[in-house]
Amino acid sequence: MASVHESLYFNPMMTNGVVHANVFGIKDWVTPYKISVLALLYDMTASKTTLPERRRLNKLILPLQQGPDLTLGQFLKTVEECCPQTAYAVKQRLQEMADGELKDMEYFFSTLPTPFTAFDSEAYKTSVVGLFMRHMLLAYNKLSFSQVYKLYKSLQLYYHSHYAKPADGRVSLPALVADDSDMDLTSTEDTVGDRIDREELDTSLHESELRNDNTPSSGPLSQKQAEYFLARQAYLLKNDENKALKPAALQEELNNMLKFNPDFAEAHYLNYLNSMRVQDIFLSAHCLLHYFDRLILSGNEGKSNGDEGYGRSLRYAALNLASLHCRFGHYQQADLALQEAVRMAQESNDHVCLQHCLSWLYTLEQMKGSESTVLTEDSVKMAAHFCLPYLASLGIQSLVQQGATQGKTAHKLMDALKDTDILHWKHSLSELIEISLAQTTSIWRMYGKSTMALQQAQLLLNMSSLEQVNFGVQQNNTEAFAVALCHLAELHAEQGLYCAVSDILQHLKEQFPPHSQHAKLWMLCDLKIQFDRHMNEGKYHLAEPLVTAISALNKTEGLYRKAQVLKALNRSTEAYSVLQRLQVHCERTKCTEVVIRVMLSTAELHWESCGFSTALPLLLQALALARQHHLQSLASETILHLAFTQLMLGVPEHALSVLHEAIEPVLAHGSVMDKGRALLLTARCQMAVAGFRPNGQGQADFHLAGLAVDTLNEAAGYFSKLNCKERLRDVHYLQALLHRSLGQTSHCHKSAMLFRLLDQELQSPAPPVSMRL
Amino acid sequence: MKMAALCSEFGDLVQIKKQLISVISLSKERGLLHSSKWASELAFALDRLPKDELPPSHPFTEEDAQDLDALTLAKSYFDLKEYDRAAYFLKGCCSQKAYFLYMYSRYLSGEKKKDDETVDSLGPLEKGQVRNEALRELRVELSKKHNAGELDGFTLYLYGVVLRKLDLLKEAVEVFVAAIHVLPLHWGAWLELSNLVTNIEMLKSLSLPDCWIKDFFMAHMYTELQMIKEALQKYQNLIEAGFSKSTYIISQIAVAYHNIRDIDQALALFNELREQDPYRIDNMDTFSNLLYVKSMKPELSYLAHNLVEIDKYRVETCCVIGNYYSLRSQHEKAALYFQRALKLNPRCLGAWTLMGHEYMEMKNTSAAIQAYRHAIEVNKRDYRAWYGLGQTYEILKMPFYCLYYYRKAHQLRPNDSRMLVALGESYEKLTQQLEAKKCYWRAYSVGDVEKMALLKLAKLHEQLNESDDAARCYMLYIQDIFSCGEQLEHAEVSTALRYLGQYYFKNKLYDEASLCAQRCCDYNDAREEGKALLRQISQVRDQIETPSADLFAPLSNNNTPVRRVSPLNLISFTP
Repeated sequence: MASVHESLYFNPMMTNGVVHANVFGIKDWVTPYKISVLALLYDMTASKTTLPERRRLNKLILPLQQGPDLTLGQFLKTVEECCPQTAYAVKQRLQEMADGELKDMEYFFSTLPTPFTAFDSEAYKTSVVGLFMRHMLLAYNKLSFSQVYKLYKSLQLYYHSHYAKPADGRVSLPALVADDSDMDLTSTEDTVGDRIDREELDTSLHESELRNDNTPSSGPLSQKQAEYFLARQAYLLKNDENKALKPAALQEELNNMLKFNPDFAEAHYLNYLNSMRVQDIFLSAHCLLHYFDRLILSGNEGKSNGDEGYGRSLRYAALNLASLHCRFGHYQQADLALQEAVRMAQESNDHVCLQHCLSWLYTLEQMKGSESTVLTEDSVKMAAHFCLPYLASLGIQSLVQQGATQGKTAHKLMDALKDTDILHWKHSLSELIEISLAQTTSIWRMYGKSTMALQQAQLLLNMSSLEQVNFGVQQNNTEAFAVALCHLAELHAEQGLYCAVSDILQHLKEQFPPHSQHAKLWMLCDLKIQFDRHMNEGKYHLAEPLVTAISALNKTEGLYRKAQVLKALNRSTEAYSVLQRLQVHCERTKCTEVVIRVMLSTAELHWESCGFSTALPLLLQALALARQHHLQSLASETILHLAFTQLMLGVPEHALSVLHEAIEPVLAHGSVMDKGRALLLTARCQMAVAGFRPNGQGQADFHLAGLAVDTLNEAAGYFSKLNCKERLRDVHYLQALLHRSLGQTSHCHKSAMLFRLLDQELQSPAPPVSMRL
Repeated sequence: MKMAALCSEFGDLVQIKKQLISVISLSKERGLLHSSKWASELAFALDRLPKDELPPSHPFTEEDAQDLDALTLAKSYFDLKEYDRAAYFLKGCCSQKAYFLYMYSRYLSGEKKKDDETVDSLGPLEKGQVRNEALRELRVELSKKHNAGELDGFTLYLYGVVLRKLDLLKEAVEVFVAAIHVLPLHWGAWLELSNLVTNIEMLKSLSLPDCWIKDFFMAHMYTELQMIKEALQKYQNLIEAGFSKSTYIISQIAVAYHNIRDIDQALALFNELREQDPYRIDNMDTFSNLLYVKSMKPELSYLAHNLVEIDKYRVETCCVIGNYYSLRSQHEKAALYFQRALKLNPRCLGAWTLMGHEYMEMKNTSAAIQAYRHAIEVNKRDYRAWYGLGQTYEILKMPFYCLYYYRKAHQLRPNDSRMLVALGESYEKLTQQLEAKKCYWRAYSVGDVEKMALLKLAKLHEQLNESDDAARCYMLYIQDIFSCGEQLEHAEVSTALRYLGQYYFKNKLYDEASLCAQRCCDYNDAREEGKALLRQISQVRDQIETPSADLFAPLSNNNTPVRRVSPLNLISFTP
């Protein structure tokens, strides 16, 4: 309302139409809390205390001087913990002033040791205490008569509000709030509603926040308190959104703060962050621009950057606008804003800003899906030249990511990551360390080294936060953590540990609520795990509906899964057309992993039509690709396919020798399903080599047959872990055959019975045992 | 209240006059100066009543008699702005009149103290906290009485004001509506209500008493909500109903015309107003804006001197002087006077915006941004401030950044061509020609005040080699320029003619081309080219006259573009 802004014009600090909030550079104003601190300091210099108490008090001085205003209760409690005697003295002194007259306060200020005379005391003019005292004395002496009177009034209020309701235990209102005696207003029914809301808001705030925080209630905050509040909320928004206030509540606090101090530009910025949280483009753009409009004013004072302060903030304003549009996916708008920022940075020779622009430019190009390696490389070089470690290693990380998908050799990537890691630790860029670890996890997984991936993920998750001030945040909710946790879930799912998976997912859900920025990561991960599980258990009808959900989150993945379901449901023609489309798409976007998978699936389709020889070239191509990109898991998978094809083509000896190459990595890194399949295939090859025919004719090699029995047993163990009944049925069938030919009748009967049971349960006619991997 | 019962048909001017006279005395007794001024002005515009027709003075109750002495004393203190003293002597009085004055002086005392406090506050953060401490108590007492139904029209109004100051806007609206129902003639209550109505839907949803004063309110509201056509209609009706002499209505109509930028009409009305009421200061800032836009230096200077003689410490006077200096390009002084206006009334949002303009002129962009932001904070719907912010960023060469502000301004004034042209220019700078074309075309469609949109559109088409469209736009532009009659300084008719000449020449429409070329010769900057073109045409014509050309004549006709505009149009308007 207009009335709030009336004050602006009467501001004595307004010159030339511009309000300089800090024309004298004085941030400190005498408040009742500051008087209490002064009283404490005074008593410390005056009285004799024991050494340990003295030490504890000394440790207290700095936080008390620099922290936000506390209530009297909190203040006295803190002091009491160190030295009850001093606390009592301070209380006495305050009481004297509060219960006395104005002259008592004036007397107090006149008795303070002047830092200019006391040479040998702690209050000498250059000491921390002396500086503080000088600030306070200066600020006090500047006050006009009515201001002094007002200060005295608020001191009285400060003192009495503590002693009026000591039993309550609730954090009392901040010092300067005028007497909040409107409780009787609740008698009128029209306000009861919002009054109660306020109350509820307050209490919930107090529960969620730490006790000793001064959470703002309805009243205004002091400068320090406001700054502290903003810093804390901004930090939490970045690192652990769940601990920050809920968007609506935060908005309300900010509105309140801005109502009392419209010049508090940072609040607009937090408002912008908060609106981003709820994906509100209108409000966030509005707040961002408002923030920079305000900043341009304060920028005039000039950061000691050499060039004019406000041109600088203009450039960053444009850059921030670009990032805003980028976040909302308005790439064209982002591009325009970025061009503007680049142009302005170039015109004013601001290399640092230019560098920031450049790094956004390649990010934007990447998001648009176009090639940006060259841009990134340039950016890294320039960043290194201007000594911007953050941007440089961010660029390198981006390069590593691109390199990984384009088949750069592993050692190069790891080397690059190691180099950046050195840089990170040197400059303690904790955020980048996290990203780097998450990236390593992803890269190891891509290469199919699940153990290494697991180890890296655990490393990240067990690392404690490196930020200096972390407001009690142990685990951050940054993207890096989300990625690591998703990998962890998938790794567990591969080993069939579904219980652990659901725990991890639960944690993810709590840490990244569905509306938040990174929630899509775990959503996709969750769906993929469910899908795989249903496919393994043969419940295709359950897997099918998941495909739509997956495609909503990731189109390529969705298409691939669709093909898989179609294949499983024997709708080969449709599956084939989907796979063709997918292959074309992925070859264009250089998505090698999917390309290989598509090739494998296509080969499987060929098997179904007994085109084993047509599958061979495809598989060889896939193998070459996988080897070229060092994708070990996919390579072993391809080898399995190859071996199966050879088996079918009647060269089991070759198949067995090929299999030997793959069996080791599969057993070491592969998922349970892969292990089972590999073993089943080995057993079948062994049987074939041993000379078994399905109808039990011919002479068999008993030694090999024995081996095959063992292999099958092992495979059965893996399959039963996943509850994969169809494959279990195959295993039992083969086992029965083997046992019969080995003459172990009782074993044979047992296996036959198991087969019979499963066959009845499954009801679907058993596909010819030979026809799948 | 009896007044409510008196509400009669709109046509009965005598009744209205009677009502006005009685409400004047009522509000005067209660120190409601602005309401009584408004009512008096209106009453003055109506015919004089004969002696026996004058309304009887209000009946004097027993309570009134009891409080008479205290009330008289308190009223004199009140008039001398000694509010606390007035309140002290009124305590315990039981008549309605005394109660209102008691509460009102407490309210004013709080407001006065608040204004005084702001000067010496403790620290920058505390300065926002200064508030009228009396408001809470007043609210408690008034709400008790309100629930008991003991409030009369004036106290209800006061209750509403208190609620509004406490930011309880919803309740305030209810109370104001109630106050209006009890006492429809109190203009202050209507005015307060108008500040709280934010959109037309809200206005429609209010249940207002059916009284002649409602028409005044609706007209005022339409002006506020930028529905100028409806507002003008309402005021016209009021004039026809017999309020033709009212200076209030004349000034309102003038302001309305100012809002739709019908400058000549507005100027005429303001001049009329000055004749009728030479010592009037209200609305003179708007008048000076008009004079400024028309760059009428002597008139503005006269107005400024005149107003200074009347009262130099008025917001309006300061704004007029600011405009005067601005017109004389003495921007520092202008800014100084706008600052003074703000010192006199910080709620005066026009001055913030104008100050922003001055800083812009002085190239002090950061101060300009600050001033505009203040204006927006006072009133979010101030399109001039948004537009000014956009301009500032445009000057800082941030065409993308300023788009947001221009869009905001455009949103508030969808039919104002200036915002559209500004948007178009920004898009053009960003090489978003498609958007730019849309903006220019729309600017032309909504009635381009500066007549620049078409020219810009044409040039854009020219750049994009869309010669047919470009020619069409130039043609429209020429029509537009000549049809508006007056000669505009920046008009680029010669450019248009030059292009059209070349265009027709290329399309082998030699008659039209030569016509354009001849016209070109009327302008200094295009004379040579015009002559050159004429020469070319005559050469080509000579060739055509040779027999071989006959073969191609029909062919060349087919070649002419289908969408060309009939060149005959050009003949109908001569410069």
